[in-house]
Amino acid sequence: MNQQELNNKLQEIKDKLIAVEQKADNRVELVCEAENSVAVNRFLLADVGARFVIATGIDAEDCFEVIYHYSYDGTGCVINIKALIRDRQNPSIESITPLVTAAEWIEREIHDILGIDFANHPNLKRLILNDDWPEGVYPLRKDVSAADAKEAQK
Amino acid sequence: MAEGLQSIFWVAVFPGFVFTAIVGLLATWVVRKVSALVQWRVGPPITQPFWDVAKLLGKEVLIPQDAQRTVFIAAPLVGLAGVLLLSTMLWRIAIAPSEAFIGDIIVAIYLMVLPSLALILGSSASASPHAAVGTAREMKMVMGYELPLVLAFVVVIIKSGGQLSLAAIATNAPALSISGMLAFLASILCMQAKLGFVPFDIAEAETELGSGVLMEYSGALLAVWKLTQAMMLVALPMFLVTIFMGGFDTNAAGPLALSIGKFVLVLVLLILIKNTNPRVRIDQAMKFFWVYCGIALAVAVVLAIIGNAYGLTWL
Amino acid sequence: MSWKIKSLTKSPWVFHVNTGACNNCDIEIVNCLTPKFDVERFGIKLVGSPRHADALLVTGVVTAQAAPRLREVYRQTAKPCVVFAIGACACDTGIFKDGYHVVGPVDKIIREVDPNAIIAYVPGCPPKPEAMISGVVKALAAL
Repeated sequence: MNQQELNNKLQEIKDKLIAVEQKADNRVELVCEAENSVAVNRFLLADVGARFVIATGIDAEDCFEVIYHYSYDGTGCVINIKALIRDRQNPSIESITPLVTAAEWIEREIHDILGIDFANHPNLKRLILNDDWPEGVYPLRKDVSAADAKEAQK
Repeated sequence: MAEGLQSIFWVAVFPGFVFTAIVGLLATWVVRKVSALVQWRVGPPITQPFWDVAKLLGKEVLIPQDAQRTVFIAAPLVGLAGVLLLSTMLWRIAIAPSEAFIGDIIVAIYLMVLPSLALILGSSASASPHAAVGTAREMKMVMGYELPLVLAFVVVIIKSGGQLSLAAIATNAPALSISGMLAFLASILCMQAKLGFVPFDIAEAETELGSGVLMEYSGALLAVWKLTQAMMLVALPMFLVTIFMGGFDTNAAGPLALSIGKFVLVLVLLILIKNTNPRVRIDQAMKFFWVYCGIALAVAVVLAIIGNAYGLTWL
Repeated sequence: MSWKIKSLTKSPWVFHVNTGACNNCDIEIVNCLTPKFDVERFGIKLVGSPRHADALLVTGVVTAQAAPRLREVYRQTAKPCVVFAIGACACDTGIFKDGYHVVGPVDKIIREVDPNAIIAYVPGCPPKPEAMISGVVKALAAL
C-alpha cells in the first residue's frame, strides 16, 4: 500500500478511536481509550501488516499514557497508538504480549517504573529495578521526587 | 647413577623444560609479533611473554569453592608433563637418532593428546557454567581432529614402508609426494585446532565472548597453562618437521640452519592461517574435519598404498 | 619495587566492567584496544575473566543492581590489582548524582570490599583513548 491507501485503511478502525492525528508526512498518531487498545493493536498487526517496534509509558499530569510504536515498512510510515489510562489510582491496561511476544519486556519495564498494571501479562516481574527495591514506589511518576525515591530505597 | 643424572638433565634442562620453555615463549612472541605486523602495528617487545609468566607467578591462586580441588590443581601439571616429555623425546631423537625406538611414533601420538585431555579435565573440575560450555566444545573438537590426525600419520607410516620408528621415518620427506602433501596440509589444520588457534579456537578464546575453558584459573596455575601452550608451539611443529619434512638435522651448521628454516616455515604457516581466517562454529569445524579432511585423507591413504606397492614415490 | 609489582607494570591484563554506563565510555575503551592505538606494545591485553585480570576498567555510575556484582567481580580479581574508574560517571557519578538508582561512585563501592584498594581516576565524558592510555601509564609509574 502506498501512503494514501494506508491513510484510508486506518480510517476503518475510526469507531474505536478518539482521534486520528497526522503528525508529519510519515507519522500518524491514533489516540484511543485504554479499553480499545488491544483491538486497535490487533487491527494494525493483522489487517494493516505493520511491525511492532517498542512501547513508551508516560505520566501525563491528568492521566497515564501508553504509546505503542509501529512501523509500516512498505512506505516507512511510523504509526503510534496512544492509549489513555484515566484511572490514576490503579492504572491498568490489557497487555498485548499474547499478540506479539516482543512486547513482554517493555511492558515489564513500564510496570516496574510507572506502576501500570498489564492484565493478562504472562510474567510481570521486576526487570530493571534491583530486587530489594520496595514495592509500591514507582520512581518515574511525577508525584514521586528523586529525594523520596532515594529515601524509600534505603 | 650417571645415566639417571643424565636423564634428569635431559628432561629438566636441555632439551627438556628450560630449553623448551624458553624457545616456546620466544615462539609465542613470534606469533604475536607477526600478527601485529600483519595488522600494521608494532606489537609487544621480545621480553613480553617472559614478563607475562613472571607476573602470573606473582598473583594469588583463587580456587572456586565448588571446584574439585585435586583435579583442578593436577590437570595443568598433567598437561605440562605430557608436552614436556613429548618435546624432550622429539629433540633427543633429532640430536641423537640412535635413541629412537620402535613404536616411538605411537608414544608421541599418545603424549600429544595429554594436554587436550588435561584441558578438558581441568575445566570440568572448575564448577563454572562458562567452563562447562567450553569443556563440551573442546571435547567435540578433540573428537573432530584426532581421527584425521592419526590418518595423516598412517599415510606417513605407509610411505616409509611400515616403519614405526621416528628416526627411520625422518630419513625421507613424504611432503614432496601427492599423498604426503595432502596429509601434510590436513595435519597443519589439525595442529591449528590442537594449539587452539583461529579458525579452531572455539574452546578457549571464546574468552573474547566472556567464557572459556580456563575461566576459573588464576595465578601460578594459569602460568602453567600458558607455559604448556607455549611449549606445544615447540613440540608440535617439531613433530611435523620430523615426520613430513625430512627430520631435524643437527650434524653440521648448514643442515642445522636448513632445519631451523623448516621449523620456522611451519610456524609461519600456522600464524598466517591464524591471521587471515575468522573463527568457525563447532558444527562447521566437526563437518570440516570429518567430511572434508576425512575424504582427502582416505584418498591419500589409498594413493600411499598404491605408491608403496608399485614403488612410485611421487604418489 | 618488588618483582611482583614490576612484572605487573610490564604486563597489565585488563578486564572491562560496565556498572550501568550509557556505553559511551565502553565504546571508547574498545576503541583504545584496537590496532590503531596498539596497546599491546605495553603488554596490555583484554581478558575475558576477572581471575586473569590485573586491572579492572570500570565504567558507569554504580546502580543498585550492579553494586553487588561489582563487589563480587573485585573479590574475584586475583590480587595485586588496580581499579581504573573511567569516565565522569565512574569518578564521581557525573550528571546522575542523586539519581534514584545510584548508590555511589565506583570508589565508594570498591572501598566497602577492600579499604586499601588502589584506584586510579580517568575523567572525561567520554575520555579519549589517548587520555586512557596516559592514565594507565601514570598509574603504573606511580605503583
